[in-house]
Amino acid sequence: MGWLGELWRRFQFLFQNDKMAKDLADEMHLHLELRAEDHAAAGINKRDAESRARRAFGNVTQLLEQGRAVWGWAFFEALASDLRYGIRALRADPGFALAAVGSLALGIGANTAIFSILNAVMLRSLPVEDPQQLVQLKSGTKGNFEGGYTNPIWEQIRDHQQVFSGVLAYGGNRFDLANGGESRFANGIWVSGDFFRVLGVPAVQGRLITPQDDRHGCGPDGPVAVISYGFWKSHFAGDPNIIGRSFAIDRHPFQIIGVTPSWFTGLDTDHVYDLAIPIGCEPVLHTDQTALAERSWWWLQIVGRLQPGGSIQQAQARMNMIAPEVYRATVPANWSPDMQKDYRRTTFALQPAATGFSNTRNQYRIALYTLMAVVGLVLLIACANLANLLLARAAARQREISVRLAVGAARSRIIRQLLTESVFLSISSAAAGLLLAFWGSRFLVRLLSTTNNEVQVDMTPDLRVLAFTTGVAILTAVLFGLAPALRASGVHPNQALKESARGTISGTSRFNPGKALVILQVVLSLVLLVTAGLFLGTLRNLLTADLGFKTGNVLVVSATVPEAKLSSSKRLPLFDRILERLRDIPGVRSASSSFGTPIQGWFWNEYVYPEGYRPKSEDDALVYFNRVSPDYFQTLETPLLVGRDFSSRDNLGSPKVMIISESTARQFFGTANPVGKTINMDAPHLRHGNKQDRYEVIGVTKDIKYGKVDEPPLKTAYLAAAQDREPAPHIQFEIRSGIPLASLASPVRAAVAEVRPEVSLELRSFDTQVRDSLLQPRLVALLSSFFGLLALVLAMVGLYGLTAYGVARRRGEIGIRIALGAQRRSVVWLVLRDVVSMLAIGIAIGGVVSLLTGKLVTKLLYGLQPGNPVTIALSVIVLAVAAITAAYVPARRASRLDPIATLREE
Amino acid sequence: MAARLKRDEIPPGTLYLLILRTLSRGGEMHGYEIANAIQRISDDVLQVEEGSLYPALQRMLLKGWVTAEWGVTAGNRRARYYRLTAAGRKQFAVEFDQYRRVSGAIEKVLQMA
Repeated sequence: MGWLGELWRRFQFLFQNDKMAKDLADEMHLHLELRAEDHAAAGINKRDAESRARRAFGNVTQLLEQGRAVWGWAFFEALASDLRYGIRALRADPGFALAAVGSLALGIGANTAIFSILNAVMLRSLPVEDPQQLVQLKSGTKGNFEGGYTNPIWEQIRDHQQVFSGVLAYGGNRFDLANGGESRFANGIWVSGDFFRVLGVPAVQGRLITPQDDRHGCGPDGPVAVISYGFWKSHFAGDPNIIGRSFAIDRHPFQIIGVTPSWFTGLDTDHVYDLAIPIGCEPVLHTDQTALAERSWWWLQIVGRLQPGGSIQQAQARMNMIAPEVYRATVPANWSPDMQKDYRRTTFALQPAATGFSNTRNQYRIALYTLMAVVGLVLLIACANLANLLLARAAARQREISVRLAVGAARSRIIRQLLTESVFLSISSAAAGLLLAFWGSRFLVRLLSTTNNEVQVDMTPDLRVLAFTTGVAILTAVLFGLAPALRASGVHPNQALKESARGTISGTSRFNPGKALVILQVVLSLVLLVTAGLFLGTLRNLLTADLGFKTGNVLVVSATVPEAKLSSSKRLPLFDRILERLRDIPGVRSASSSFGTPIQGWFWNEYVYPEGYRPKSEDDALVYFNRVSPDYFQTLETPLLVGRDFSSRDNLGSPKVMIISESTARQFFGTANPVGKTINMDAPHLRHGNKQDRYEVIGVTKDIKYGKVDEPPLKTAYLAAAQDREPAPHIQFEIRSGIPLASLASPVRAAVAEVRPEVSLELRSFDTQVRDSLLQPRLVALLSSFFGLLALVLAMVGLYGLTAYGVARRRGEIGIRIALGAQRRSVVWLVLRDVVSMLAIGIAIGGVVSLLTGKLVTKLLYGLQPGNPVTIALSVIVLAVAAITAAYVPARRASRLDPIATLREE
Repeated sequence: MAARLKRDEIPPGTLYLLILRTLSRGGEMHGYEIANAIQRISDDVLQVEEGSLYPALQRMLLKGWVTAEWGVTAGNRRARYYRLTAAGRKQFAVEFDQYRRVSGAIEKVLQMA
C-alpha cells in the first residue's frame, strides 16, 4: 500500500508542480531570514548576518532543484527540454527535417505495408480454436505433394482414420445468387458435416451444419446453408428472423439454418466466405454428373486436428499406414494400368495449417518476399541517408557541442541530447510511416483484386505489425543516431575550439564513414534499379508476347443453363439459337462459342494416339483441348495456317474432326501435311468403356497461349462444338464488335433473355481477362520500379548532401585555388573526382551483387536472364547520370565561389 | 532514490533519523526549528549543511512519514509546519532500532581493537 500512496502523492505533486516549487522556495527563504535575524540579534551586522546564513545553508538553487527532483519527474523534464531543444534545432533547418522524416517515413511505411500483407496472408493464425493443432493433408507420389482430394478419397479418410481428434473437408466455389440473367456471385464453401465442430466455431444464430446434413443428396432438413456474419449483415440486412429463410444458390432454394460469428471468415485468408453448404448437397446442384462419386475430380481440401499431445510426425506415419487401403478403394477405373499403379502408391504428407489457406500466398509467395527484400533495402538506404545527414549536421554543430562540453556538460548528456533528437525523428517518421502503411497496404490489396477475383484480406494492423514498425523505428534511431552522437561528443573540446568553424575535424582520417555510406547507397540503388529493370523487361515481354489471338474489342459472355431443367441433349440447339441471335446484334462483326476462352484459368488435357506416332514419354502425347464453334478462329483472329475451319456440316452425324496447332502438327507429323491424318482419343468418361474415338485433322492454326501468357508453347487442339454429345451446362460466347463493348452489354442480355430467360450470364472484356492474368508481374514491376526510383532519389539526396557539405568545409581551400588561378572546370572536377570514385566503387560492387540477387528472382522473370546486359547497362547509366547530376550542383556552386569573399572569412 | 553524498553533508539516512527523532519529541515544527533543534541537541557537533534539510523533508513528505501544513510563527510569519504521521512513527522505530544494532556492533568491534 505504501507505494500506492507514494504514487498518489507523486501525481498530486505533478499537477501542483508550480505551487510546490513556490512552497519550497518560501520555506527556504524563511529559514534564511530567521537565521539572519538570529545572527543580527547576536550583534552581527546585517550584511554579514545574511551572508553567514547563506553559507551555512548551501547552494539555494541547487537545493531547490534537489527538492524538486525528489518528486521524480526530473527525468521527464530533462527529456522535455531535450525535445524542445531538438524541435527548435529541427525547425531551424526545415529542409533537413523534411528530408529526414520524409525518407524515413517512406522507408518505414513501405516496410510496414508489405509486412502487413505478408503477415495477413502468411503469418497470422486462423481465428479458430487451437489453430496450432490443425494440419493440412497433402498427398502425392515421388515426393511431390499436393492438397486436392476427390470425394471418394475424403469419405475413405473420414470413415477410417483414427489419427485425428477430428477431420474436415472443404472446397471453395463461386455460387450464383441470381435466378437467371446477369449473375451475382457469392464466395461459397462446400463443407463436410464436422467442419464447424472440428474448427470449434459456434453459431451466433440458429445451428451449424452437422454430419446429418452432409448425407448424399442432403439430410433430413433438405438443402441447408450456413451464412457468415458479414453476409448476414450485407445481403440480408441483419434480418433477425433469418433462420428458416430460403434463398437461391445456383438457382436452387436453400434454407438458412445458422450464422457464424463475425470473427470467423473461413479457412482462406484472402477470401471472406459468404455461405457454406454441405458437401452432400452437391448432387442437388449438379444433376448432370455429381462430383461425389467422381474418382478423378480433385476439389476438396482436407484438414485434421491433431490429438492432444500428438505430433505431426506420428500422425503422418499413422496416416500412411491406412494410405494403401484408402487409395486401393478409390482407384479411377478409366486410368491406364501404369497410372493406376502410381495412384495406389500415393502417400500422405502433413503440414501445419494454423495460418489457413491462401491462393494469394501460393501465387505471390516469391513476389511478396522479393518486395519485402526490396523495401528492406529501401529502408537501409533511407537509414544510410539519415546517418549521413546527421553526420554532416553533427559536424556542423561541432562548435556548439564543443562549447557545451567546455562549460561542463557531461558527454553522456550530449549523447542523450543528440539521441533524443534522432529518436524523435524516427518516432515521428514511424508514425507517419504507419499512416502511409495503413493507406498503402489497403491500396495494394485493392490492386491485387481483379474483376473476377476480389481479394479480401483482413488488414487490421495487429500487434505483430506494430511491434515490427516500432522495432524498425528504434533500431533505425540507434543505428543512425548513435554513431554521429558518439563521434561529435568524442572530440576534445580544446581541439575543436582551436580549429576554425569549418575545420578539419572529420576530414583528416582516410576513412570517412560518410563516403562508405554513399558507396553503400550506390550499391543498394544499383541492385534495386537492376531488379526493377528486370521486372519491367519481364512485363514488357509479357505485354508484347504473341498470344496467337487478338483481345481488343472482344466481349466474352459466360452463360450457364439450369442443368436439371435442361438435359444435355437440349443444350446444343439452345446454344446455337443464342449464337445466332448474338450474331444479329448490330455492330457485331463475328461471334462464336467455346468450352472456354484462353487465359481464363482452366485447362482440359487428354492423351491422344496420333496415326503413325510413337510418343517418347507420357507427356509427349498430352494435348490441351478446347471445343469451339465455327468462326471461333475468325472471332479471336487466330490465323488458320492450313486446311479449313469447322463448318455447319460438321455435326453429330458426320465423321469427327479436329483442328490442331502448329506445335501439335510438328510434334506428331513433322513436316508432312497433317490435314487428313487421324488422331485417336479415349472416349469421354467411364460410361463409354475403354473405346477410342477417331478424329480426322482438318486444319492447322497458329499456336496460342492456352492458360497463361508466360507458359512455354503447349500442344493444343480443337474439337467441334457441334460434335459434342453431352455439352456441359456452361459455355462461353466470344463476340468481336465494331462498336464499344459497353454499348453491347444490354443488347446481349436482351438477346439471351429472349431465347431463354433463366440462362445466367457473366460479361467481361477479353482484354481485361488477359490483363488481369498479368496482375502479379504488373504489380511487381510497378512496385519495384517505384521503390527503385525512391532508392535513386534517396541516394541522390544523400550524395548531394555529402558533396554540399564537403564543399562547405573546403571553401577556404577552394577559394585559395581560385585565387591562385584555378580554372572553374578544374574546380568542378576537384569536387566531382571524389564522387566519381565513390560511384565507380559502388557500381563495381553493385554490379556483382545484382548479378547474384538477379538469380534469386529468376522464377519471376519471363523472356530475359538475370544477367541481362542491357538492363544492367541501362541501370548503371541511369544511376551514374543521377549521381553526377546530384553532385554537379554543389560542385558548380563551388566553382562560382568568390575567392575574395571566401578568403576574407579566413 | 539515489542519494547524493556530498562532503559537507551527513548521510541522508541519518538525517532522516535525526528529523524523525526531533519531530517525535517536538510535535509540530517548521524547518528552521528542526534545524535549530538538531544543532542544539547535538551541541553543534553535527555540522549539517542546513539547506539539505529541505530536500530530505520533501522526500519524507513523499514517503508519507510526515505531513505539512502552513501556519503562522510566533513572529507572525508564514511557515510550513511538519508533523509525524503514524507511518513516520513506525519508520522512526524501525530506523532507530536498526541504527542501534549497527552502532552497537561497530562499538563492539572498536572496543576489541
